[in-house]
Amino acid sequence: MSIIEFLQIWIIAFFTLSLFSFLYRDNPFYRLAEHIFAGLSAGYYVGLVWNSVIIQQMIDPMFDNGRWWLIFPGFLGVLMFSRFSRNYSWISRLSLAFVMGNTAGIFLLSELHGKVLPQMQSTMLSLNPGQGFAKFILALVVVVGVLSTLIYFYFSKEHRGALGGIARIGIWFIMVSFGAHFGYTVMARISLLIGQVQFLINDWLGSLIKIFA
Amino acid sequence: MNILLILAYVLLFLAGAFLLYMAFRTDDRRFIYLSVAFYVIFPVLVTLRLPTSISPEAKQLYDAVEALPDSSTVLLTFDYYPSTLAETEPMSRAALKHLFRKNCKVLTMTTVPLGGPSIAERVTREIAGQYGKIYGIDYVNLGYKANYVAVLKGMGSSIEAIYPTDNSGTPLSQIPMMKHIENYSNIDFIFAVSDNAIVDYWISIVHAQYGKRVGAGVTAVSAPQYFAYLDAGQLAGMLGGMKGAAEYEMLVKQPGSAVKGMTAQSLVHLFIVFSVIAGNATYLAKRKRRGGEKA
Repeated sequence: MSIIEFLQIWIIAFFTLSLFSFLYRDNPFYRLAEHIFAGLSAGYYVGLVWNSVIIQQMIDPMFDNGRWWLIFPGFLGVLMFSRFSRNYSWISRLSLAFVMGNTAGIFLLSELHGKVLPQMQSTMLSLNPGQGFAKFILALVVVVGVLSTLIYFYFSKEHRGALGGIARIGIWFIMVSFGAHFGYTVMARISLLIGQVQFLINDWLGSLIKIFA
Repeated sequence: MNILLILAYVLLFLAGAFLLYMAFRTDDRRFIYLSVAFYVIFPVLVTLRLPTSISPEAKQLYDAVEALPDSSTVLLTFDYYPSTLAETEPMSRAALKHLFRKNCKVLTMTTVPLGGPSIAERVTREIAGQYGKIYGIDYVNLGYKANYVAVLKGMGSSIEAIYPTDNSGTPLSQIPMMKHIENYSNIDFIFAVSDNAIVDYWISIVHAQYGKRVGAGVTAVSAPQYFAYLDAGQLAGMLGGMKGAAEYEMLVKQPGSAVKGMTAQSLVHLFIVFSVIAGNATYLAKRKRRGGEKA
């Protein structure tokens, strides 16, 4: 193990333990780790965007390939800084209008063809009992679940009578969905803890053992 | 199983139950943190493998990759931050092992600025080294580009226009593997490993508009929402969280950190289920006692 790797492991271990220390109570080590993370992330992000966007996608193509029209999107980007001035902040709306129009144009089609239509299609299932018991039950659950959940979110009429009954079924489907989300969220959070514990035991304590061995 | 190991696990459960009792008694949640720490640390120290079944969605993804002809070109994305490495990195590692074993040409990229490019570089080089693969011939790391929607759309026309150079600054025109890869039409499969909503765009832009098959490895937090895409046939398969990663590791017969972590995962889940039942039982008992006192 090189000295660089060794230092790397110890720095990661120090910040991991500093962050875990918050579980006991707030303390200066936790705050130090938090501030260093925020500062480092911001600095790294600025450097990365400068290199991968400003240099690679604007400056280099302009000077190397003569794509001078890139000055216009660059200028729109500069206009965004007018937000820092109280008198001239309205100028940034020109850039925002371009971004919003562009985004709406791209997403309108992709959301419709990529999400809305295929998802609607996959819930339009046959309720013919002749297709087999399991398939029939599954289709019934999907159709009832989708319709009752949609009706739960229909707020233009008070949820009473038949509408209220169907909305109540919708609540059950939503609750099952929340339960699944909760179970998966617990798994996600515990996974992160397991990852750091594996690092502390295998890598950090491993490096200590290597020193003494 | 070793009798000492069983004894150790019985003691662990008793310690957890005692700490839970202390948490209820003192209303101090730190006892719960301590018991969770016990359940996570112990399986890492003492090897015990609880059984993990293979889910249909993981098998679907494995079969989709397995069905690719040898030497196919696959785009593997590293759209995740270092904070979710425990879940996502084992997926990438297992995917790379599977792809290199099939002699696929692997193109890697990321739309995540913090960590994405360096994780892709580190993991790909390490696994490629194990399979004797050469950079520029068998795999290429495109690196990071900002504005993922523009990147995903633009790559449909020309990858080189979006990524003029690879991650280390070499022009794509000088990389042998890239001579035959112009846009999505030269890519056979997309394996998107992600910890954010970018998989939505691989589905809604690349799958829907370019007809490319997409398989996804996502964090457990976002996994439930992708079942709808799986059922609709918009995803070729899916890995959800550490469990999904462990399943893929088992499918490619290369058990790694995810398989090792699943024992701790199962123990903590058992503890949480037990805590929820115990917490509710205690609450109901207290309420009944208070009701009795009032009467």
